[in-house]
Amino acid sequence: MNKNIEATFKLLFIGDSGVGKSSILLRFTDNCFLPPEDTGATIGVDFKVKVQRIQDKKYKVTIWDTAGQERFRTLTSSYYRGAQGVMLVYDVTDRSTFTELEKWFDELNTFCADPNIVKMVVGNKIDMAAERQVSKEEGDTYAKNHGALYYECSAKTSLDVDQAIKALVSEIIQRPTLWKKSAPSSSGSSNLFSNSNGNTRVGSNGGGGADGEPFSNCAC
Amino acid sequence: MASNNSNNIASPTPTATSSFWKRMPVYAPARVYMKTTDEKKEIDVCKRTSWIASPPALSPGTSYFDQPLSSASSRHGSRPGTPSIQSRRDDAIRKRAGSNNSSNSGIQPPDVPSISRTASATSRQSMDLNASISRLSISRTNSLADSAAQLPVNLTREEKFTKILSSANVDSDELRKLSWNGIPDRHRSMAWQILLGYLPCNASRREQTLERKRKEYNDWATQTFSKGESALDSELWHQISIDVPRTVPVSKLFRHEKIQKSLSRVLYCWAIRHPASGYVQGINDLVTPFYVVFLSPYIGKYADPNTCKPSQLPQPVIDKVEADSFWCLSKLLDRIQDNYTHAQPGIQRQIVKLKDLVERINGKLTKHLESQGIEFIQFAFRWINCLLVREFSLNNTVRMWDTYLAETDGFSEFHIYVCAAFLLKWANTLTNQDFQELIIFLQSPPTSDWTHKDIELILSEAYMYKYLYDSSPQHFTTTQTQ
Repeated sequence: MNKNIEATFKLLFIGDSGVGKSSILLRFTDNCFLPPEDTGATIGVDFKVKVQRIQDKKYKVTIWDTAGQERFRTLTSSYYRGAQGVMLVYDVTDRSTFTELEKWFDELNTFCADPNIVKMVVGNKIDMAAERQVSKEEGDTYAKNHGALYYECSAKTSLDVDQAIKALVSEIIQRPTLWKKSAPSSSGSSNLFSNSNGNTRVGSNGGGGADGEPFSNCAC
Repeated sequence: MASNNSNNIASPTPTATSSFWKRMPVYAPARVYMKTTDEKKEIDVCKRTSWIASPPALSPGTSYFDQPLSSASSRHGSRPGTPSIQSRRDDAIRKRAGSNNSSNSGIQPPDVPSISRTASATSRQSMDLNASISRLSISRTNSLADSAAQLPVNLTREEKFTKILSSANVDSDELRKLSWNGIPDRHRSMAWQILLGYLPCNASRREQTLERKRKEYNDWATQTFSKGESALDSELWHQISIDVPRTVPVSKLFRHEKIQKSLSRVLYCWAIRHPASGYVQGINDLVTPFYVVFLSPYIGKYADPNTCKPSQLPQPVIDKVEADSFWCLSKLLDRIQDNYTHAQPGIQRQIVKLKDLVERINGKLTKHLESQGIEFIQFAFRWINCLLVREFSLNNTVRMWDTYLAETDGFSEFHIYVCAAFLLKWANTLTNQDFQELIIFLQSPPTSDWTHKDIELILSEAYMYKYLYDSSPQHFTTTQTQ
């Protein structure tokens, strides 16, 4: 399987606690949904991986799903390094999670120095239409103003989850400078967590935080 | 606010090494040749007798026995005549590994011979050990004229707990010693509260203290919530409200609205009293063992919270359990509060320690993890933030906490040795995995079928690592780098 992998990408999910980051991830990798009472809050950072086929080519998508609570920022900030794509998730039924995106963009700009990184704003929980507090137009405009892609989805019904991540990956593919170079990029991440092998940037096919994993030697 | 007895646990005796031997005299080098008339002589002879009585599976290093228990300043990692690694290791195993009957593969320090050969002898040894501990307690406490401590050797564990806990003045050292190997269900609630320093050792003061503490909490909680949710700190309350429903997902008990409300109150009250850390995700997990254990006397079997019908629990019972859980959570978190303050320095520090420890025990594993780009923080952060509660069933966590509470610094220091033992348990698997497999495996190690025996094995291993590596931070590093 690994032989056919075109490249490995590293994505990061950020956003307030309880907006559904882990649910989106679970829907994407395992195509299932667990109600809130069946899941625990993410502590620190979780990791999942899936091979995504785009235009007859396979890409390995590694996703780091971060805890939303403020107190974990010191930890989660170290995971920005080497990421090619970041998904900023909010809950369309909770306006405060939308306004907090501003803070998340600050965070992203602080810890990720590469201006080319693909950003995507995602509004989750659109199945709860009656409780919606943020319109699609508002979300879309906000994302555009921040130079980010925009999607709405429902991890519960699976609506547009795959499409959103596919779009994010496709955009990364369109920006080869993000992943087809080996020069290390600067990183503002905390030294406490810095990767000891110093690979802040994935090699031609390497996978984000998966520096040194065998898959990085697989392509072409 | 804290009762006088908090010192029993919160303040270890002054020097780490000496206190270690004092706390665990049965592990101290025996001194059969010393001609003294004091109490220690009795201890030593008693212990020696038990060693003779039980056919030793291994012969402890002679240097171990010849070496007198020296002054408080001696550190067993550097003093002359230090027992060989093997003898200390075997000794630790023999003393603790009562249930070491499963595979020890993957837990082998590279520089020490296999421990598996000791396993068969271990269970037999541990039975003798129990007898030895009993005899020891008699000789140590006779002079105190404490009726509870005069435990006949033939008492069952259950009876020993009954004896100790029903005495007018509970001998907390004895209780701790006995609790290390697990507390019977029906004694756990009381034993935990005493070990945490919440319940006084002195029986005559208990009722009054409990009444006062419960009233203090309940009055305060009532007052805090009297103006409705809108008067609460909205950000804090929001966070707690979204976390409590997803606490211990498998338990029906914690799905009940009544219990969830109660948990929320505990967490909120704790958080506003501790502004330096506030509520941090994962603390919700840490209340649950207290809650089920303290609820157990009221519902019979704690072990199966699913059989409990919270709707039938009268409010006064909830109030009591809630207050006790609050105070005991506070006692626990007091010792590890810097795990939850800004930037979580306690966790950072412990991860460094864990890595260092694992490196000394199994350098091959750490090299492999490093070569794959794995950092300890990527998997161990949650282990420390949630004290491994997420990794084990609630029932197994409760068993683990028996031992943590019996240790002096169970939740802060001993926990790191447990994390090391837990990681090393999978060493053989891990060394064959690449980055991705490693991360995914370590995120959810296969523990769903674990029983108390598995937990006890990990605890024994942890004890052994602590025994071997604690207080000798340089010794092994130097050896390895030579």
